[in-house]
Amino acid sequence: MSDDARYIGLVTRTVAFALDAAVINLVALLVSIGASLILSLFHVQHALKEVLIVVGAVVYVLWTIGYFVGFWSTTGETPGDRVMRIRVVASSGDRVTPRWALVRCAGAVLSALPLFAGYLLILFTRRRRGLLDIVARTVVVESPTLSLAAARRARRRAERELRSSHSGDEREALVSQA
Amino acid sequence: MADDPRANARLRGFRPLGGIGGRAAAATLRPFTDVAAVELETVLATALESEHVQRGLRGAFESDGGRQLVADFFDSGLFDEFVDRLLASAALWRLIDEIVDSPAVTAAITQQGLGFADQMGEEVRSRTRRMDDWLEHAAHRLIPGRRGR
Repeated sequence: MSDDARYIGLVTRTVAFALDAAVINLVALLVSIGASLILSLFHVQHALKEVLIVVGAVVYVLWTIGYFVGFWSTTGETPGDRVMRIRVVASSGDRVTPRWALVRCAGAVLSALPLFAGYLLILFTRRRRGLLDIVARTVVVESPTLSLAAARRARRRAERELRSSHSGDEREALVSQA
Repeated sequence: MADDPRANARLRGFRPLGGIGGRAAAATLRPFTDVAAVELETVLATALESEHVQRGLRGAFESDGGRQLVADFFDSGLFDEFVDRLLASAALWRLIDEIVDSPAVTAAITQQGLGFADQMGEEVRSRTRRMDDWLEHAAHRLIPGRRGR
């Protein structure tokens, strides 16, 4: 990762996380209301209810992990990160692999356990890395204005337009510009 | 006369000539009508912008008679009736529906909403980044030392 990259601090990351938590819990709430309505149509025994609660809790945890791992390892930014224009990348600047994204998830939990001390490290490290970043070898940087998908779409559109109007070296130069 | 088939046939023969004549007359007169329209616009604009007319209009609006006229108009209930009738007319609501449903209006509202959301987001982002720096400085003042990797 180049030294001129702007690393993101604790407050911005907290706001992004709060937005993600809102999204995760809203979806979970809607799904649980739907599931409860469906289950209310059937007579469910008490013991089965307890099992269903445990299943619900497991699904919630899996949904939360899947949400973060999915976004970090694909676009590098969750919806909350997108709003705050920040992105999680590997220390080398590459995209985070699913395995390291999973490690970062575990690191996030570990960071919160000692009274969130793992997150306070962000204030004292040069590249603003918390415990979760150190264990997962990641950094959080300023994200470009365009999302990855939007940038890819813009690039393809530019390539299509250029293919129809230019050829040879001129085309290559323009594609690289785009 | 109109029911006479022979007369009708004769008239039908002249119809194309009439059309050609009308078009020729319109084409001949167009420069004059265009000039007249432009002249009329200029005259109206000059008249409305003239100091005398403006002073006269201002005087009429500010005079007691003018104020009384406006007060009488509203007291007469004519305006209330006009508004009531306007609100009761189906055509008005049809027009409003048309305007609301028009793609141009929808696009403008969406653009306005997006612009506002974007502005809000930008403000929040810049503030949180400032707070990042401030919090970091505060933490360093509290616990001085070398920064890790």
